Amino acid sequence: MNRHLNAFIAGLALAIMILIGLFGSRFVIYLTSRVMILSIFAMGYNVLFGRTGLLSFGHAAFYAAGAYGLGLYSLHVSSHPLAGILAGIVCACLLSVLIGFFCVRHTEIYFAMLTLAFGMMVFSLIWNMRSITGGDDGLVGIMRAPIALGLVAIPIIKPQAYYFLILLLLIVSIVLIYRIHHSPFGLVLAGIRENERRVAFAGVSLKNYRLGAFVISGTFAGLAGALAALLESHAEPFSAHWSHSAAPILVTLIGGLQTFSGPIVGSVVFIVLRETIERFTHNWMLWFGLILLVIIMGFRGGIVGILSRWRK
Amino acid sequence: MAKKGWTRRRFIQAGLLTTGAAALGGFAKPTGLWAATPKIKGPIKVGYQAVMSGTLAGYGDFHRMGATMAMEEINAAGGIAGNKLVIEFRDSTLKTPEAIQNARYFVDSWEADFLAGVDSSGQALALGPVMAELDRVLMVTHAATEKLTEEQVFKNGIKQIFRICSPTYQDGNAAAFVAKDLPAKTWATVSPKYEYGYTCWEMFKNTLGKLKKDVSFTGESWAPFGTTDFRPHINTILDAKPEGLYSTEWAGELITFVKQAKQARLFERITHVMFPVGAAMDVLEGLGAEMPDNIWISGRYFFLYPDSSQNNDWVQRFRKRWNHYPAYVSETGYATMFAFKKAVEAAGSKDTAAVIQAMEGMQLDSPAGRRVFRKEDHQAMYDVPWGLTAASDKYPFKIMGKQVMVPAKDCFNRPPFEGDESKPPF
Repeated sequence: MNRHLNAFIAGLALAIMILIGLFGSRFVIYLTSRVMILSIFAMGYNVLFGRTGLLSFGHAAFYAAGAYGLGLYSLHVSSHPLAGILAGIVCACLLSVLIGFFCVRHTEIYFAMLTLAFGMMVFSLIWNMRSITGGDDGLVGIMRAPIALGLVAIPIIKPQAYYFLILLLLIVSIVLIYRIHHSPFGLVLAGIRENERRVAFAGVSLKNYRLGAFVISGTFAGLAGALAALLESHAEPFSAHWSHSAAPILVTLIGGLQTFSGPIVGSVVFIVLRETIERFTHNWMLWFGLILLVIIMGFRGGIVGILSRWRK
Repeated sequence: MAKKGWTRRRFIQAGLLTTGAAALGGFAKPTGLWAATPKIKGPIKVGYQAVMSGTLAGYGDFHRMGATMAMEEINAAGGIAGNKLVIEFRDSTLKTPEAIQNARYFVDSWEADFLAGVDSSGQALALGPVMAELDRVLMVTHAATEKLTEEQVFKNGIKQIFRICSPTYQDGNAAAFVAKDLPAKTWATVSPKYEYGYTCWEMFKNTLGKLKKDVSFTGESWAPFGTTDFRPHINTILDAKPEGLYSTEWAGELITFVKQAKQARLFERITHVMFPVGAAMDVLEGLGAEMPDNIWISGRYFFLYPDSSQNNDWVQRFRKRWNHYPAYVSETGYATMFAFKKAVEAAGSKDTAAVIQAMEGMQLDSPAGRRVFRKEDHQAMYDVPWGLTAASDKYPFKIMGKQVMVPAKDCFNRPPFEGDESKPPF
């Protein structure tokens, strides 16, 4: 019964997304594109945060690695978008292996602070390597060239076409992350979160599994960053700033920390709420903060968590 | 019960009366050029974004004061071609995705006819391709990077972008023209550690180097965004013992820098000091009497220049309306609305292509004086003086005493923006 309901909701959501892509106005398509990119970022992040129980403040660095990887590749090597996205993902993956290697030796606050420090290191590198990264101006002029697939080319310069590319990659990400969560690997991650000593006694290398989770989440952050850079035609240094690392954390908390669909619901609430509040007041930050506070404190387990409890 | 009926009747009467008056007003007003162009429909909507949160939020307020005042004056005088001018403001923060989302919201959701504002250079550059896609005119009122007009408009052909404020040429090139007549031969800088700071110092060095062969540049210290302790930077500069100091620090950081430099007796040891954005009202009012005398300052507009009736009247009206002296972003925000008005009325249309055509080469008499929008790169050409700080009985802050004018035509880079011939001196 529950399973059928979930499948029904997923199907309905997909239908709505396709309808938005087909009939939505340019602004709705843009906003939904941003929701999807944030969803990818947050879902990947949740592999580490919700599943493994590690709080990272440095994931903006991997997001930026994806954005700058794509940007530099498309400006200097080839403007093929899929190759660019792949370049961004590879950059983010390598960077997360490097940073993760040093961070996963620690847990809790030490882990959080280490990721914060490494993340800010990446930020200052981007800020200061002006000849490569453009400093605070960022990378300007990233174009959405058509996707050339042998005989056909899909012109993703149209927001609508690009929307469907993001939607496709979102679905792929959801399926992948679902598989990861339900694989033996994912179950060990949950085990580490619940009782790491017991997992260690079972003969599992905590470090390797944590590193695995770290790299997976960093890679998805890179995918999100690359997609965002293509969406905005621009890569900017503040995407690596620690304050940007807070976005997936907030989104996950709003949606539901230990739920699968929480980050997606959280992303929708995060972006739509902000956009709505800004239409009424200039002090949007104040109201936004207050409402987030109410959601996070009032809905323990997030929106999805509360809903699934009601259903039971 | 009876009272309620009375109120309703009164309400309807009042309603009819206002509608009637509005209709009459509507009929009575169209005269002159735009009487013959009824094809412009509905209000003219301008989406304005500026930084309204964080440490630079004061700039957003000053943007808003200027633009709002222009809107009130334009609407009181019959609007733009008989249509009401409406402005919506949004917080741009300093982050690029916010600026892009605002622009898209303005055009696609709120249906703006024009966009204006933008403080950060990174945001302005990132908005280039977005404006081409949205196809609306964006008037930049604060961001100063020369790359916007040289590369995005001139080279990439994004004709939708215009800039009404003076760009980095005023900070770098014009400063060099002033510095060449000073006795100082060694110069150093404490400047912001981002593109704006680097670009201005580079321009200053190049232009001054060409104007005066025997100068040398002896020290650089770059202060990151958000610096509160400038003492290490001040010490670096004092150790270099330059005769002149050039600094593009601005807003709160310039205030902090001046206070700490004073404590370190920097102004006694370095006599020739230049602050390209020192004539900003937030800095002058923020420092008050603490601003040393005989410092070279400039800005993108200074409320005592030009000494014309248009400017003086405007400053008076601004004082009356907001109880402030106008900041430069107030002037650029104000003048922007009149630029839109003039262009729409000249084009007889609010269509982007027609407005762009009308605005290219357009002259605009504004509080800052006569501006001409250069056809090639859409940069407004107008003159802003450099001046030496001096105390005045009339103001609770330092003003420009002795002034030097470097005309825009002499210190602004010229198309095609390649090679040495494009850069001053010409």
